[in-house]
Amino acid sequence: MLVLGIETSCDETSAALVADGKSILSSTIATQLDLLKKYGGVVPEVAARRHTELIGYVIKEALDKVGKTLDDVEAVAVTSRQGLIGCLMVGVAAAKSISYAKNIPLIGLHHIEGHIFANILSHPEMPFPHVCLTVSGGHNMLVYVQDKCRYEVLGTTLDDAAGEAFDKIAKFLGLDFPGGPVIDKLSKQGNPRAFNFPRPMLKSKSLDFSFSGLKTAVINMFKDKISRGEKLPLPDIAASFQEAVVDTLVAKTLRAVEMKDLKVVSVTGGVSANSRLRQVFKETCKKKGIKVFFPDLSLCTDNAAMIAAAGYARMVLGERSDLRLNVFPNAPLGG
Amino acid sequence: MIVLGIDTSGYINAVGLADGDRVLADVAYSARTDSMEQIVDNIDTVLKSVNLSLKEVQGIGVGLGPGSWTGIKVGVTVGKMLAFSADKPVAGVPTLEVLAYAARDKSLLVYTVISAGVKDTVYAARYRTSVSGVSQEGEYFTGSIKDLAPLIKEPVLLVGSDIKQYWDIVIKENPSLKNKIKSLEARPSGAAVACLAAVRLKQGKQDDPLSLTPLYLKESTAKVFINKYKVK
Repeated sequence: MLVLGIETSCDETSAALVADGKSILSSTIATQLDLLKKYGGVVPEVAARRHTELIGYVIKEALDKVGKTLDDVEAVAVTSRQGLIGCLMVGVAAAKSISYAKNIPLIGLHHIEGHIFANILSHPEMPFPHVCLTVSGGHNMLVYVQDKCRYEVLGTTLDDAAGEAFDKIAKFLGLDFPGGPVIDKLSKQGNPRAFNFPRPMLKSKSLDFSFSGLKTAVINMFKDKISRGEKLPLPDIAASFQEAVVDTLVAKTLRAVEMKDLKVVSVTGGVSANSRLRQVFKETCKKKGIKVFFPDLSLCTDNAAMIAAAGYARMVLGERSDLRLNVFPNAPLGG
Repeated sequence: MIVLGIDTSGYINAVGLADGDRVLADVAYSARTDSMEQIVDNIDTVLKSVNLSLKEVQGIGVGLGPGSWTGIKVGVTVGKMLAFSADKPVAGVPTLEVLAYAARDKSLLVYTVISAGVKDTVYAARYRTSVSGVSQEGEYFTGSIKDLAPLIKEPVLLVGSDIKQYWDIVIKENPSLKNKIKSLEARPSGAAVACLAAVRLKQGKQDDPLSLTPLYLKESTAKVFINKYKVK
């Protein structure tokens, strides 16, 4: 079954063709990096307007790249839950129109389920059940993945997501946007032990995250140094901040794995591309005999291929959405 | 030529069908925040009501706004993606012109007015209507209805939804107009969009569905804020 995936929940306009939930025929992603750099972040109304401009082109390119037309497409999968409301609407309006015009099934999906499937797409051999850490600028969750489409949320962020903290710290330090890759690169020249920033909520038994306090600690230290006229060792600050985030993410994930008595971890989302996070996860998991999986780099950030894969899995279970499919910006990840 | 017309720029989903200038169906569904949820289903209902399918539709017309930002994004996306998917020609029609079409039978100078959401700020445009159609005169207006009043010189008809409140303000600003201007209550009509689109399509003035975008007469609030405070 050839599924067209559509993803517009934040600032990436994306379309992809995936066959049988396994092989990616094409994937087109139009980023709004120019707008992000201009405004230092995502401005919902500006992003939604850009989606309206790009959606048709992105879908056509995903088809043209592999010589397909909409006549070859057998179903449409779209992100309809969790994201910026105006942005989600553009993708869902497009998906419904295609489904109606071509008389093919439609399915609306939760954005986080897409990220869970990014790793299933990258590693079809990855066993179930497993614990999945989804971490990006918009979400930060620990999910017990019992099987495809069967989830139990173990923890979530109480304030900022890890990626959001990366972006905000980068902005504060006067670095480029998005902050994740910039801090990753800068940290390689710095000492991760130079500053001892807090590892938030590590002592609590909860599997929830909170990165707002860490962010404040970095900013206060930075301001303090400026007021004393001291030199600012940016690479050291970046590396120490990154280390605090990585330590927290790894420790909480391993606690979840122990709690569920499992030996498999899946790490997904934009921040799963971070090289230090990958390194620490690999080293720690190796010691404990745990298998850890990361998506291909192209599937870490928002993309429609993961949505198409998740849509296929749901359709195999017999699920369909109707033409009144709506968007839910704050929907929980359903099981 | 059977044309489907839609407009979701206001607080209604307007869906209509016309064969040339003959109206086959014209329905206004109430839709304040759920235009996205309803619109494709609304289109299906209207087509079925006259025993037609999308296959038999020969062209698509879309109201481009101005109006509710979310509303126009939904309507334009649906219009362009239906046209792309079903391989039909599409024509975008400014919603201010759609409103002027309500006065097409009269030879008149018409100002159409749409609320811009904030206080008495409006979008407006001037049209000359006649039996042969509707033609725009001059540029679009965005600003306070009070600033529109001095621009009105000759006998005119004000057209729009909740138009009486704007008529009151214009008369208050410029009492000499009292006997010169009338008002006509009208909402965007799907059939009007279809008729106006049919004229464009017959003249070969179809839009590229991929590049079709809403008509925004105002920058997003965020952009205005950023430009004002020069946020970098």
